[in-house]
Amino acid sequence: MDWPALWLSLHLAGWTVVLLLPVAVFLGRFMAFHRFAGKGVVEALVILPLVLPPTVLGFYLLVAFGAESPVGQLWQGAFGGPLVFSFEGLVAASVLFNLPFAVQPAQRGFEAVPREVREAAACCGMAPLTALWRVELPLAWPGVLTGMVLTFAHVLGEFGIVLMVGGAIPGETRTVAISIYDRVQAFDMAGAAQMSAVLLAISLVTIAVTFRLSARAGRRLS
Amino acid sequence: MPLPRRHFLTLTAAALALPAQAEAPPVIAAAASLRFVMPALTAGFAAAGGGPVRVAFGSSGTLAQQIRNGAPFELFLSADAAYVQVLADSGAVQAAATVYARGRLALIAPHGGLAVDAAMDGLAAALARGEIRRFAIATPEHAPYGQRAREALLHRGLWEAIAPHLVFGENVAQAAQFASSGNAQGGLVAASLAAADTLRARAESALIPDAWHSPLDQSMVLTPKAGATARAFHEFMQTPAAQEILAAYGFAAPEPA
Amino acid sequence: MTLEVAVSSGAPIPLDVAFQVEAGELLALVGPSGAGKSTLLRAIAGLWQPDQGRVAVGGETWLDTARGTRLPTHRRRLGVVFQSYALFPQMTALANVMAAGADETRARAVLELVHLGGLEARRPAELSGGQQQRVAVARALARDPAVLLLDEPFSAVDRGTREGLYAEIERLRAHLNMPVVLVTHDMEEARRLADRIVVIDRGQVLRDGPTEDILFDPRALRGMGLREAGATLTARIDGQEGDGLTRLRSAGGPLWLPRISGTPGDLVRVRIMAHDVMLARRRPEAISALNVIPGVIESLLPGDGPGALVTLTVGDEVLLARITQRSVQAMGLAVGQSCFALVKSMAVARHQVGREDP
Repeated sequence: MDWPALWLSLHLAGWTVVLLLPVAVFLGRFMAFHRFAGKGVVEALVILPLVLPPTVLGFYLLVAFGAESPVGQLWQGAFGGPLVFSFEGLVAASVLFNLPFAVQPAQRGFEAVPREVREAAACCGMAPLTALWRVELPLAWPGVLTGMVLTFAHVLGEFGIVLMVGGAIPGETRTVAISIYDRVQAFDMAGAAQMSAVLLAISLVTIAVTFRLSARAGRRLS
Repeated sequence: MPLPRRHFLTLTAAALALPAQAEAPPVIAAAASLRFVMPALTAGFAAAGGGPVRVAFGSSGTLAQQIRNGAPFELFLSADAAYVQVLADSGAVQAAATVYARGRLALIAPHGGLAVDAAMDGLAAALARGEIRRFAIATPEHAPYGQRAREALLHRGLWEAIAPHLVFGENVAQAAQFASSGNAQGGLVAASLAAADTLRARAESALIPDAWHSPLDQSMVLTPKAGATARAFHEFMQTPAAQEILAAYGFAAPEPA
Repeated sequence: MTLEVAVSSGAPIPLDVAFQVEAGELLALVGPSGAGKSTLLRAIAGLWQPDQGRVAVGGETWLDTARGTRLPTHRRRLGVVFQSYALFPQMTALANVMAAGADETRARAVLELVHLGGLEARRPAELSGGQQQRVAVARALARDPAVLLLDEPFSAVDRGTREGLYAEIERLRAHLNMPVVLVTHDMEEARRLADRIVVIDRGQVLRDGPTEDILFDPRALRGMGLREAGATLTARIDGQEGDGLTRLRSAGGPLWLPRISGTPGDLVRVRIMAHDVMLARRRPEAISALNVIPGVIESLLPGDGPGALVTLTVGDEVLLARITQRSVQAMGLAVGQSCFALVKSMAVARHQVGREDP
């Protein structure tokens, strides 16, 4: 059992969730409440990572963030190390790749808030952020939380991107998924089986939690 | 909303509690053929007074590409000289390359399966009888052992017949995995992998004559990021102690220059 | 604290409306669906921005497109009752009212005012339609708003409850010292509650004036839509008859209706639809209708088809009758004439009779 790899995977998932939470809330809310020219394009861009093969995204990230790119050079200058093949690079890739998993359910959650209820909040004198906290989030939170749970689970399973942008460096970028791959190549079937079981269990828990949250959201609004 | 709030905060706290990372050990990029010998080498290095190191395995081509893209490897142990040359040509490394061992190719097949011999006669016969469904080699695209496997098969005149049945491992260790697990009838992999206990327990092997392919001069080079420990390891690899360990794991000594 | 509104816009429907409401006055915006009434209300609330417009309350300008001023909705001291009530589903009634910025004491006081004392801890899902409506009103009032806006607040409630709610609003009027704008498509509602009526059709003002004047104005009545035309008579229960009828006393004399539960002296309001009313020049004999109500013709309004709407005054109340223009001519009906309105007892359904207390 590669504990550092599991710990690394959990951190990667945790940081991705923390960074995507405000994005999910504000972008999801914005998309739910507003109609504007180009909304279709934005929605398509958000969904893109869902249909994009991970290696394609990995390739583009390598090109965009690699040592030979402007962003990569900037990062190198500011922090001394490369952006790719680092934990921070993985977080950046992870945040981009999980955008649809975080934003879509949150958007659905906010869409379920009746327009007149939002307007009533404004008519009660609540400023937009107050209304978000006291009226919208209490109604939309199952959607937001679903997004976070899905993101967390999905990050744990990320492979293609991590491989291309991470480099399988133990303690730095070798996540559980990569470690399983590694164990198989090292003929350590027992180790691979152990870690696979852990990931399987986490996936099952995720499914159960997501179902519970959806049911709860459905009950609340009926 | 007490319930979700509490959980969210716990999650955040857990997520942000990063482990304290002290002076992290340097990362060595090692070709997949070194998979089983590396633990012995790092132990030998520690016995000789060296510090801890971390190892990332992969095919030599992949590792070279990662180094070019800024991967933080401090020492590159490649499976041949070509990929190190590529790095030197592109300016990614400035130091001189050193050959630390010579690799050999081995034919392997699970016990009780394909007849394994150095001249690959058993393989030729099985092919002729149509018994070969899948045969594993490392991918020639970016793995030196894959390229040599292709050369050997070409030399023996089996390439045309076997090409439709080939499965390619992403690196030579994955090819060995395919070949020894029975997912392929056999494979051409690094002798250093075939010699390892784990593999000997599952598969027969035979050394392929090294005249049948271009040399596998396994070269190493320090990258510009190399620190003291990496340099010490680089030195260690050239000591008799290291050479003994390499020999024990199926590597030949480097040809005298 | 006068409310001044002037709005003009192209989309979604062409609007060109201006009116004023004094403090303590209740103005009804009446008109058919799609006339633009709710849009106007939303403009006052700041939920919709017209191409051109001005909304000012007291000295404060909430909107002035000419000068580029626009106060966001949450900064306008408003009280709004939405058609769907729009209560916050996750909060109790008390929390809903407090969400408008009132402290607990004031919130409880306002809930008492709308007769919801004892139900503060319930969530909207645990309250009836009428009760939810009153929470919405309480929430709108809790802010001590400069303007109170009601957007068809009674349309989702059944008739019986509606009568009770009208009575509530009338009682509340004493506490409402701000301009109130009520949007409705029900002219009976407007007649009951409003001091002034603005009739809107297709985005234009048809008529603007005191309720009394509007209700006898044929053009206004046409604008308000004749389909739902009806009137309400107040009556007191006189006694229960043996054959399942209740006898009542009204300004137009005795009335018999299918059994209404209650004791003699109870006050009820009876809604009589115009299409259920026949007219006669002389008191008829040997007919089945039990209710023969004398009245004076106040106005005759021909419709676009074969029909006509006749307004009768009955005491200080009003009855409407929809008959054919042919009959109007054949009978030689004219304004100022006395005639009789005939109403079948069985035509008045139970839900058309409302009690004073819900």
